[in-house]
Amino acid sequence: MSDVAVAPAGPARIAPFLYEIPASTRRDMRVPARIYADEVLWERIRGDASLTQLMNVATLTGVHGAVYAMPDVHEGYGFPVGGVAAMRVEDGVVSPGGVGYDINCGVRLLVSELDRKALGNKLESLTHDLSRSIPSGWHANAELQLGPAELDRVLREGSAALVERGLATAEDLRYTEAGGSLAAADPAAVSDRARSRGHDQLGTMGSGNHFVEIEVVDEILDAAAAAVFGLRRGQVCVLIHTGSRGLGHQVCTDYVRLMGEVMPRYGITLPDPQLACAPINSPEGQRYLGAMCAAANFAFANRQAITAAVRDAFSRAFGESGGLRLLYDVAHNIAKLEEHGGRRLCVHRKGATRAFGPTHPETPAAYRSAGQPVFIPGSMGTASYVLAGSDAALAGSFGSTCHGAGRAMSRRAAKRAQTGGEVRRVLEDQGIVVRCPSSAGLAEESPEAYKDVHRVVNVVERAGLARRVARLRPLGVVKG
Amino acid sequence: MNPDLQPHHAFVEHTGEERLLVHSPTLAGLFTQSGRALAELQGVTTTVPTDAQWRPVEVTATDSAALLVEWLNELIFLAEHERWVPVEFRVDLITPTRLRVWGRGPTVPVAPSRVKAATRHGLEVVRHDAGYRGEVVLDV
Repeated sequence: MSDVAVAPAGPARIAPFLYEIPASTRRDMRVPARIYADEVLWERIRGDASLTQLMNVATLTGVHGAVYAMPDVHEGYGFPVGGVAAMRVEDGVVSPGGVGYDINCGVRLLVSELDRKALGNKLESLTHDLSRSIPSGWHANAELQLGPAELDRVLREGSAALVERGLATAEDLRYTEAGGSLAAADPAAVSDRARSRGHDQLGTMGSGNHFVEIEVVDEILDAAAAAVFGLRRGQVCVLIHTGSRGLGHQVCTDYVRLMGEVMPRYGITLPDPQLACAPINSPEGQRYLGAMCAAANFAFANRQAITAAVRDAFSRAFGESGGLRLLYDVAHNIAKLEEHGGRRLCVHRKGATRAFGPTHPETPAAYRSAGQPVFIPGSMGTASYVLAGSDAALAGSFGSTCHGAGRAMSRRAAKRAQTGGEVRRVLEDQGIVVRCPSSAGLAEESPEAYKDVHRVVNVVERAGLARRVARLRPLGVVKG
Repeated sequence: MNPDLQPHHAFVEHTGEERLLVHSPTLAGLFTQSGRALAELQGVTTTVPTDAQWRPVEVTATDSAALLVEWLNELIFLAEHERWVPVEFRVDLITPTRLRVWGRGPTVPVAPSRVKAATRHGLEVVRHDAGYRGEVVLDV
């Protein structure tokens, strides 16, 4: 397997913020690889295995048009993180490695009617309350232990399964991608082992780069779209980033193994075994899609359960004035069947966000004059952005954009650069309240470990993938 | 094979994940060392209680590289599901497609949080003059 950092022969800049590696670069590539970047990001992207991994994706059976890397791309396993590839349903494959272990890891933004000054001196106690209310790491959620029938319902219905418990509203479902429930979910395709990892993890954040952050709208960049989204300067918001936890990890583990076993039957050979795949229309492909949708539903419900805990904390702090409206919830590790250019495609987004424009039928009706809300978290010390999807992204990236700033530094390098204590002091000097159970974990997620989010978002906008609407600034950070 | 070579491991740079390299004079040592490396990555430094019981862990796969992934994924599952993190190992049976190990280690109060899965990306188990070299990327 070829996996070293390379400068492939023949990459060319084909538009101001778009590079292309022609399909002729490698004999096994079926389509070109296209990378959204400016010159600075391009040089960084060439420094790790991202491009080799993207070219490997371009070899998959049934891959359509081109494969794409978003400006936050970095090396992953199989697919690069920040990779998008669409496979024709009639003759293409589905790859669990193209979705990743944290199925439907995603982001949602809750919006309050509070101004920054209304937080007063409650920021520290509110952040502390959130850290106590939302289990992180691998702590279980004792209040949301699910029996087999209840877990089945969550796998089948997603966020909708929480309405009767009072943890979700009809409006929450309306403003969640796919209504917070993928109809193709097949709970029977989820193994007992995966269920045993997930039954006590609903409403938990997990670790690594997962977080709950209290934010303030620092700047409005598109007044008209901000008005559509109900955003104004100085407004307090909450950004939630987590996924399907151990249940999703196990689903991916189970199906990477299964597909590795059946690939010879379908005559599939790969440059990287982590791209293990099966035809979309095969029994194994269909079974994976059913299990993946079930895990995605678990993730939607997980973010919804955390939303309920955040609402409770705000209610304790501010009473009736502490209400939180869900602006939108969007997945960034998922494979979805979508129509593009009249073709039915299975779009794999690995560390990439759907970014549909104003005319797309899946953009909520209330947002049709702006576009689907997109969230690009930066790091806990810089900024995050709210954007609006564009119709141009449909042609330019199968309606996708990036999911964050993207790592610039390995976790080990980040820990060598700064201790967790140093990171905490820097953040506190900026007035940011931090709660994190692990000092090493804090160092790994330091702002310096990430690319410049402003540069990444600038490329997204200049390339026409999405339009900046508002910039958020972190006030309180709860890390997993 | 070099009898002076002791099993050892290192984590090497990877932008997003953790890349584990393991060296051992024997295939059995490669697997037990990778188990110790995983416990280290999971932050489990607790000593083994004197009354800790040995218990078996068994996995199968199509070849020795896939076996390494199955072994690590089994340990990840046991850590998360049972909060049991073995740090001492005795290999009972090893072939390129089957591994049976007795493990002993602490039951930790909180399930380890760092590692989601062992992947097949960049996966290698290679025999050379001095023993074996294994490489695996762990999703963290």
